[in-house]
Amino acid sequence: MKWEEKLERLSRGEFLKISMIWTGGFWMYGIPTEPTMTFRVLTDEESEIMDTLADCIIPPDNFAGGKDAGVTNFIDQQIGDNGYLSEDKLMYKTCLPALNKGSISDYGKRFIALKESPRIEYLKKIEAGDYDNQPSGNDWGQFLPSSFFGKMKDQCMMGFYGSPKHGGNKNYISYRMIRF
Amino acid sequence: MAIRHVNAVVIGAGAGGGIVAKELSEAGLSVILFERGGWVTHEDHGNDELTAQRSFPLECAFGPDNERYRRVAVDRQGRERVVYPNDWAYHNNAACVGSGTVCYGAMAWRFMEEDFKMRSTYGDVEGSTLEDWPITYADLEPYYEKAEWEIGVAGDDSKNPYAPWRQKPHPMPPFSHNKEARKLEEAAKKIGYHPFSIPMLRNSVPYNNRRACVHVRQCVGFACPVDAKNGTQNTVIPKAIESGNCELKIHCKVAEILTDNRGKVTGISYFDENDRHQTQTADIVILAASATETARLMLNSKSKFFPDGMGNRYDWVGRNLQGHAYCGADGLFSDEVYDGEGPGASVAVCDFNHHNPGIIGGSLLANEFIKLPYAYSQNYRPPGSAGWGKEHKEFQKVNYRRNASIRGPVQEMPNFESRVEVSPEVRDHWGIPVAKISGFRLDEDIKTANFIADKAEKWLKAAGAYQTWKSIPGTGVSGSQHQAGTCRMGNDPQTSVTNKYGQVHGVDNLFVADGSLHVTNGGFNPVLTIMALGYRVSDYIVKEWEHGNRFR
Repeated sequence: MKWEEKLERLSRGEFLKISMIWTGGFWMYGIPTEPTMTFRVLTDEESEIMDTLADCIIPPDNFAGGKDAGVTNFIDQQIGDNGYLSEDKLMYKTCLPALNKGSISDYGKRFIALKESPRIEYLKKIEAGDYDNQPSGNDWGQFLPSSFFGKMKDQCMMGFYGSPKHGGNKNYISYRMIRF
Repeated sequence: MAIRHVNAVVIGAGAGGGIVAKELSEAGLSVILFERGGWVTHEDHGNDELTAQRSFPLECAFGPDNERYRRVAVDRQGRERVVYPNDWAYHNNAACVGSGTVCYGAMAWRFMEEDFKMRSTYGDVEGSTLEDWPITYADLEPYYEKAEWEIGVAGDDSKNPYAPWRQKPHPMPPFSHNKEARKLEEAAKKIGYHPFSIPMLRNSVPYNNRRACVHVRQCVGFACPVDAKNGTQNTVIPKAIESGNCELKIHCKVAEILTDNRGKVTGISYFDENDRHQTQTADIVILAASATETARLMLNSKSKFFPDGMGNRYDWVGRNLQGHAYCGADGLFSDEVYDGEGPGASVAVCDFNHHNPGIIGGSLLANEFIKLPYAYSQNYRPPGSAGWGKEHKEFQKVNYRRNASIRGPVQEMPNFESRVEVSPEVRDHWGIPVAKISGFRLDEDIKTANFIADKAEKWLKAAGAYQTWKSIPGTGVSGSQHQAGTCRMGNDPQTSVTNKYGQVHGVDNLFVADGSLHVTNGGFNPVLTIMALGYRVSDYIVKEWEHGNRFR
C-alpha cells in the first residue's frame, strides 16, 4: 500500500503524528507535502531509518543535522550502480531494517519510534559490539552490526563534510558551520 | 605497424622518470617514456576532498582506478586480503603524467649528510639492514642543485642552521608564513628551536614562464589551479618532448622486462591504451615506476638468468620497503589560529633530525598543510573523544579554526621483512601478477616517534595551546606515497640491487631511477632526493653513451 493511501485511512491523531515526522517536528494541518527527496536505491522505509541515523550521527542544532544536509541522498547516490560505494548496497538494504527492528527486544519499539535518549544508547551498544553475537539466520545476514555501524558512521561523515557534488552537504552547510 | 627500436625506454613519468626522459633526449638518445596514466588538470577533480589524492576515501582522483588495479596486503598474522587503490594498505602513487608531483605538498628537502651514512653515524641496529649509501651527500649535491633550479624551488637555507652545505642558493625566495606559522615560529624561538620557512617545489615568484602561487590552502592532494606547483609534468617532460627525441606513451601498462639469451635486456612488453599486448625494444631500460611497481616489474620478469626476477639473484629486490613513521602532536587554542592562506605548511625545524640523545636519526617537524573537513571529523581529537553525535559535532564546529598540528616524517630503520613480492594468485586487469605487500615497523621507529612527538607537543604548548595530545604511528608496514628502499644502491651485489649509478648488478643495460634506490629514506619528504638521483643516473648514462658505451 502506498503511503498516500495509508494516510487516507488514518485517524486524525495518527495523521498529525506522521505529518510531524515528515516535517521534522512541526505540527501541520492538512496533507503533509511529499518528501522532497526521491531515492533511487533506498525504499521509503529504508530512507526514513537512514534519515534518523544521520540525525543521530550529526544531530541538528543551530545548523542542519545529517538528515537536512542530505546525508541519505549521499548514501543513496553512492550505493547506486554508478556510485563509489556500490559494494555497500546490500549492506545498507540488509542492515537498515535489521537495525530498526533490532531495538524491539531491549527497548520495546523500533529504532525510528524511540525517543532520543534510548536511540543514542541503542546505537552506542551496536557500536560497542553488544549485538554482534546473534544466532545464525538473524536479520543482519552476513553483516556484523558493529562493522555496519562503523562504516555507516564514516559514510555519514563523508556525506555531511564532503563536497555537495557527491549528494550530501546540501548548500555547503557543513563548510559554513565550520567556516571552512 | 612497424615499431621502431629506441635507445632508451623509461618506465614511469613521475619524479625520477620525467627527469631521465629529458636528460637522455636532450643528449640525443631516442627515448620512449611510458606512463600508465594520462594528463590530468585541476579541473578534473577540483578540490574535492572525498577523491583527493592524499586521502582518497571514495577513490583516488588521479588513479590508479579501482576497476583495473588491485594488490594484496598481508597482515602480521600472515593473512592476505585483496586491496584497492583507495585503501591505505594499497600504498598508492598517483597514476598520471607527473605522478605525485602533480598533487603533492611539494616540500623540497635535501637530505642531510648523516642521512647518507646512517650506519657509520649510529652503528648497527638490531633487526635492521641499516647501511650507508654507496654515495655521499657531496656526490649528490650538484644534482640537488640541478633539481632546485630546473624544477624550481623556493627557499632560504640561511635560516636553517642544520641545512647541509650548498654551492648555489635557491632560485626563488622562500614563502612567507600564514597566521598559524607566524604564531608557531615565535613559539619555536622561545623554546630554543630554530624555525625557518619550508623549501617548496612551488613558485613563490613567477618562474619557468609560469605564475606565482596564489596561496590556496587546499593544496596537498590536489593539482594546482594556476599551475604554480612544480612537478615533472610542467617542467622536464614538456622539454623532453620538445627535444624531438622523446615520445610520451600514456595509458600504457608495462608488463615485463624482456631479455635475450645472454641475460641482457632487449626491451619491454606492455599493454597499449586499447589493451593490446605490444613489444618495444631498446638499448637500455630505466625503471622509475615507484618502489612498489619497479620491484613488482622486476619480480615479474623472470628468465633463465634470473629465475626469481630481474636482478634478484640474492633476494634483495622488493626488500626493505620504507616510508616514514609520521608522528606529532595536535593542540587546541582559545583563539582562531587557522587562516586560509596556502600552501599551509610553512614553518619547520630540523633541530631533531640527528644526534638526539639515545635516538637513531629523527625527523623534521613542520606545521600541517590543512585538515580538510571530513578528515578533521575522523581524527585530530584528544583520546577518548566522541566519534559521532552532539559532542563530536560541537568539537568540529568550535575547533576547526582553533587547532594546529605539528607532524614529522620519522626516518625508519630498514627492515628486510618489509617487502614487495608478487602474488601467484591475484592478477590485475591485464593479467599481470599484482604486488603483495607485507612487513612491519621495527620498535626503534616507535621509540623515535615518541621522542619526536614529545618535541612537537612541547612546541604547541609554547604556542599557547591549552590542550595538546600526541599522535604516534602503528607498527604496520610502511610505504604509501613516500615509498622507498626496494632496489637499494650498494657496492656489494649480495646486499643491494643496483650500483651507485642505479645500474642493476649483473644487468648493465637496466637502471632504476626512483625511490627504490634509497638505502635509507631520511627524516624528510623524499621527492627532491628522487629527483636528484634521476639527474645523477641520467648523467652517468649520458656520459657513458657519449664515450661510446652502448651497455651491451
